[in-house]
Amino acid sequence: MMGRRRQRAADAVTYTLLALIMGFFLFPFVWLLSTSLKPARDAFAIPPVWIFRPIMDNFRTVFSMVPVVAYLKNSLTIALGTTALSLLLGVPAGYGLARTASRAAGNSALLMLAIRMAPPVALLIPFYLVMRDIRLLGTYLAVILLQSVFNTTFVAWMMRGYFLSLPADLELAAMTDGCTRFGAFWRVALPLAVPGLATAGIFTFTFSWNDFLLPMLLSGRTTRTLTLGILETMSTYEIGWNNMAAIGMITILPVLLLGYILQPYYVRGLTLGAVRE
Amino acid sequence: MGEYTGATADRSAAAAARPVAKWLKRLGLLPWAAPALLFMLCFAFYPLGYSLYISFFNYSLTDPTQTQEFAGLANYLKAFADPAFRVAALNSVLFVILAVGAQTVLGLAIAVLLNRDRPGTPLVRTLLLAPLTLTPIVVALVWRALYNADYGVVSYYLKALGVNVGRGPIGEPSTALLALVIVDVWQWTPLVALMLLAGLRSQSADLFEAAQIDGASGWQQFWCVALPLLRPILIVALLIRTMDVFKLFDSVFIVTGGGPGYATEVMNHYIFKTGLTFFDMGYAAAMSNLLLVLIGLFTAVYFRAIGQLGVTQ
Repeated sequence: MMGRRRQRAADAVTYTLLALIMGFFLFPFVWLLSTSLKPARDAFAIPPVWIFRPIMDNFRTVFSMVPVVAYLKNSLTIALGTTALSLLLGVPAGYGLARTASRAAGNSALLMLAIRMAPPVALLIPFYLVMRDIRLLGTYLAVILLQSVFNTTFVAWMMRGYFLSLPADLELAAMTDGCTRFGAFWRVALPLAVPGLATAGIFTFTFSWNDFLLPMLLSGRTTRTLTLGILETMSTYEIGWNNMAAIGMITILPVLLLGYILQPYYVRGLTLGAVRE
Repeated sequence: MGEYTGATADRSAAAAARPVAKWLKRLGLLPWAAPALLFMLCFAFYPLGYSLYISFFNYSLTDPTQTQEFAGLANYLKAFADPAFRVAALNSVLFVILAVGAQTVLGLAIAVLLNRDRPGTPLVRTLLLAPLTLTPIVVALVWRALYNADYGVVSYYLKALGVNVGRGPIGEPSTALLALVIVDVWQWTPLVALMLLAGLRSQSADLFEAAQIDGASGWQQFWCVALPLLRPILIVALLIRTMDVFKLFDSVFIVTGGGPGYATEVMNHYIFKTGLTFFDMGYAAAMSNLLLVLIGLFTAVYFRAIGQLGVTQ
């Protein structure tokens, strides 16, 4: 067994290393938060100013510079639309794949995984042409549809894993009592899967909210999202960092909060259920 | 688990009588996945098929007549002869190796540091989640500001340490790719760390006690017991991160735009530029199919490794 002194030395080394690591991971975030509260001249002062009197001016400026409220509404519409569509398609798919033990079911699951792994650009170019031809470019629907392609596969995989962890016996019992298969799903399996459902939904919302590439190509003037709006604060002044930081803070606040709520499930979600904490 | 079989006797008799019903029964609950699969067919596989189709044509959106002229394999041959594409492909692979390598080493170190419960470690775990949730475009803009040669905080402190930063970390061709790798390492190392931490936590303490009784030192316990047991999770982490790094777009687009020159050009960004800023659709489609092949190759290697380990979902 380790001596007390050796234990203390090990602790000291561990804490020093952890402090260095946390410094690296928190520093960009601290920069963003502090820059959003700095007057313009302090935002790019050399040497960097770390102690200053925080002001809210940047947030006020940003609202007059960029239609933040409209962009918030667009981001919210697209994220909620994507979440709803992905859950609607993905949850029954996950249930069906979890409760069918055939080779076809296994292959369907792998097919969905393959879509999830494809880079968005590969789908985006032909999708862009298709949307142009059916005159959907610039609409909410165009963004929602393509985001849902990636997120439906995510939801289906997450929910497949979740339903697999629930005993099928309860549903069978309900069916012997006269429930239809849909009734057993709706009244027995789904209520038990609410935590999984919430996790999958919040993740989908976050992915959609954070997305930049698809809205950049598929949304239009009236459907632009907040992630695109951020760039508008940068175009005129390359170093107008205080305003960029303010709208950046507005953008990340909801996902940061959702991430905090989802904390126990986060790693499981990002690994499609491969790793449980 | 198949479809529920013991519903009623007459129902199963009827099913045996009619081949269609029998076939339906064998399908089980697969029809529940039909809407999702149909959706994929329309909005994923149809576009992918279309992409394969136009990759054999000269198709430029800027061409006023919008002619699609059959070109055979010309677009694919063009990609192999295009120096920019070759650099982009090389950079993509280099990026995967550097970023995933650094994330694995650093992630493993963090997981080991956090494995023993000490006061404060739960807080560190919570804080580590923050980079994972943050909007990538915001992260990219923050790093672009930090790397700015004249006013960037990183450049300032590097200069203070006596480093000659020249045109800044992202302005110099020699350091630009590394600077982008650091952005990816910053955002995604916590995921690898938390995955490996979950793996370490699931290992039974008995094994380590047994190793200790056999006289294994702390290092030996780590290398000979903990690390081999961690292999399945390590491979899944590598797979997930490799796929994501191949998808990298936001940070390249925002931080360097692929420059200076072609120093940070990666396949994803080059395809995007060709297709959606230069509107050379046929060529862009051909390159994105080559990217899919490259990703497929990497996936096959990982799946083989997973298969050999006998790891299942």
